[in-house]
Amino acid sequence: MSRVLTILTACVTIVVTIFGVAAAAYAVGGLVEEHGFAGASRLTNILFLILVFVMIIATLLTMAERKWSAYIQDRVGPNRARINLPGLKNRALGGLPHILTDVLKMLTKEDLIPGTANRFLFNLGPILAFAPVFALFAVVPAGPTVNVFGHQVDMVVATPDFGMLYVLAIASLAVYGTALAGWASNNKFALLGGVRATSQMISYEVALGLSLVGLFLAFSSVQLPTIVGELGSAVASGTGQAQYLWRTDGAFDLGLPAWGILLQPLGFLGFFAASFAETKRAPFDLPEGESEIIGYFVEYSGMKFGLFMISEFVEVVVLAGVTTALFLGGHHLPFGGEWLASQPLMQEQGWLYGAILGTVFWLKVVFLIWVQLLIRWTFPRFRYDQIQSLGWKILLPMGLVNVFVSGALVLWDPSLRALAIVGMLEIAFIMVLTMTTKEPAEGGAHGGAHGAHGHDDHGHGLPAGAHAAHGLPAHGAAPASTH
Amino acid sequence: MADHAKPHAPETPNPDTDAYAHESELEAHLQTKRMVINMGPSHPATHGTVRLKVELEGETIVKIDPEIGFLHRGFQKSCENVTWTQCLPYTDRLNYLSAMMNNFGFLNAVEKLIGLEIPERAQYIRVIGSEIHRLTDHLTCVGATGLELGGFAPFLFAMEFRELLHDRTAELTGARLTTSFGRVGGINRDLPEGWIQKVHKSLDRGMELIDEMDGLLTRNRIFVDRTKGTGVISAEDAIDFGYTGPALRACGVNYDIRKAKPYWVYDRFDFKVPVGEHGDNYDRYLVRLEEMRQSIHILRQAMDTIPAGPIIVDDWRIALPPKPEVYGTIEGVMSHFKLVMEGIQVPAGEVYDSTEASNGELGWYIVSDGSGRPYKVHVRAPGFPVLAAVPHIIEGKMLADLIPTFDTINMIGGEVEQ
Repeated sequence: MSRVLTILTACVTIVVTIFGVAAAAYAVGGLVEEHGFAGASRLTNILFLILVFVMIIATLLTMAERKWSAYIQDRVGPNRARINLPGLKNRALGGLPHILTDVLKMLTKEDLIPGTANRFLFNLGPILAFAPVFALFAVVPAGPTVNVFGHQVDMVVATPDFGMLYVLAIASLAVYGTALAGWASNNKFALLGGVRATSQMISYEVALGLSLVGLFLAFSSVQLPTIVGELGSAVASGTGQAQYLWRTDGAFDLGLPAWGILLQPLGFLGFFAASFAETKRAPFDLPEGESEIIGYFVEYSGMKFGLFMISEFVEVVVLAGVTTALFLGGHHLPFGGEWLASQPLMQEQGWLYGAILGTVFWLKVVFLIWVQLLIRWTFPRFRYDQIQSLGWKILLPMGLVNVFVSGALVLWDPSLRALAIVGMLEIAFIMVLTMTTKEPAEGGAHGGAHGAHGHDDHGHGLPAGAHAAHGLPAHGAAPASTH
Repeated sequence: MADHAKPHAPETPNPDTDAYAHESELEAHLQTKRMVINMGPSHPATHGTVRLKVELEGETIVKIDPEIGFLHRGFQKSCENVTWTQCLPYTDRLNYLSAMMNNFGFLNAVEKLIGLEIPERAQYIRVIGSEIHRLTDHLTCVGATGLELGGFAPFLFAMEFRELLHDRTAELTGARLTTSFGRVGGINRDLPEGWIQKVHKSLDRGMELIDEMDGLLTRNRIFVDRTKGTGVISAEDAIDFGYTGPALRACGVNYDIRKAKPYWVYDRFDFKVPVGEHGDNYDRYLVRLEEMRQSIHILRQAMDTIPAGPIIVDDWRIALPPKPEVYGTIEGVMSHFKLVMEGIQVPAGEVYDSTEASNGELGWYIVSDGSGRPYKVHVRAPGFPVLAAVPHIIEGKMLADLIPTFDTINMIGGEVEQ
């Protein structure tokens, strides 16, 4: 019971904190627009989005991952570190002090460079792995454009014309960090890890980009703010993911929004799986496969290793943010968005409206992060060649078919309704497939991909001897346990 | 200047000018360099301490050389210097995951040399202790397989059950790992009060945990892909290499000493021996999983039907006399003194005896010269042939296949290197 209460308290704290920070972000944006120069709010957005939101969520994620994996595995998780202050002395604080101790440990450890390593490239590795990940978030809109203190304030750092292409380009830069780290360490295990990372990331970039093409076709844009869309009003219907496919008439808008996940379920699965592979986390954690080759960062110590580790967590947040903006409707509510926007209070107090929708965005991000943690802690690791065949033989053809089908459907019915119907049929098909094959552990991103691929007949029946009936259940069949 | 224009015959093939060289160059493979890496002696995938010298071509293993000896402690020689009873702590350290099975196996062999029949209750307790440790051993193996394939949760479920069993072991023997339980002629202490109920409860929880592990791994597509069809050894090869235990049964050979040559009271229990078919990692995993369920089944039967009675033979030349006799009678003091100082006088002779340990046939070849100490003790460790076949299994396969293979054959450094 106390554990449930703790979790509830944590949830409420998270929501309130996100709301507070989002409100502060809008308020500060409005203030600098008023007292500074036009466009100054974009600069504060860098501060708030990347340094506050992404960085702090990534930092807390180190603890969330440890706690959440502990709950999955029937453990308590870290709770030993204490702050020696009056009132806090005997409180575990959900393990939060461990973050401090972790950081102190990283910073105070000896920075060891192997004698035979290439010093320049060795130092460059963690930087190249860390920096691009942050830059990724620049084009993701984390809230609506609202009027604060008489100035238009939006919640995005940059809105270049090439939008998502920027994300794909910068994401592929991260491969240099891991490749250099693996090579420059002059360690065979690190080299193996670096080679694995390079091949994995390069091959998954194809699937990553291809899985998004259908979405670009549907919304005729590669810009994230356009894909997220503008809300409709009394006179105009919404655009992007803010539009409704079908909706009820009335002041309170209720309907089926044109979210990317409904229009492009295959694209979503492909993108999620491919970006998972880009983050190099389980089940795609071959580059570090700690029980096999230890990883491309085996020679790194102290904060240099810390940079690799934290960049992985930042990638998780950024990936969740991009996926939210692309497939989960960004900062839009599933219904009632137009009703909320038309409220007089919301129109007067732009920062309040922005903060509410900003909270919606970040809650979706947190949800996707949670899904990623769930997948990360319940799946074993792929093998090197299996990961390649998943990328090239399943995700790539799936993405290609998806592009053709989506293109045809968008051409046939520009209202996207046909696309949505096919999308929902795909979702139903994947669900049925997953259930009928009796492989419940196959949920998540690539579960669908495997399901769509079909199951080869596992030729693993057991000999029909005296023990077979009571012995091992035949593979692929219901457990034939008789005891 | 005629000499100058004369074309001279090519002496050595020149790839830049010779027409035929171009073709052969196109067909030539890119020159690759093999990489030799050391996995171990201290490596996450090497349970205990074993060094694997792996020669890689890309990610393919061309050659692998398992090198043992890092845990060598001179077990056999040490045994020759102590009394029969004092050998017992050394046997703990053979397969440190299932110490009781080593204890009882050794005692069984010594008793066979003496020609001794131990009391029925002691036989039941030996079965109970053996099966508990079979469970802990298989849990470690299956859990570690999950862990090293990247699934941390199954490992911790396994550890939770193992922890419960270690608690029960500690209540029974006084130690969690190195039990040194049992004595020649029986058992040194009886089951504690209320212990059976506690074990039943632990097994209930354990059954749930095994089902959870089963659910997380058995039908997980990634796990199946990683284990099915990898690390394959045929039944013939397995027999040639001397495989026994789960690794052999996974190849489809139905050989379990508990059935083939029942010892103690194993013939009184109803249990099945799971047999695989393909001899791959997945079958080895499934065999172990099912054996755990069968062990629980045996344990429950044994605990329900255990008879009352003495736990050690009433022969003061073999078992220590009861303490009141030691303190109260001269015969007691003398027997105690002679047993402790000189050891059990095992008649001269030699014997081979084996029991079904968790990883296979644990054989003991012991020679006595009639004095109180062993003349020779040799252990046929089930892990040794299993490890010896690793190059045969894995050469030509991928580096990533080595991990589940090494896990599921479950080689234990302590018993291999003695």
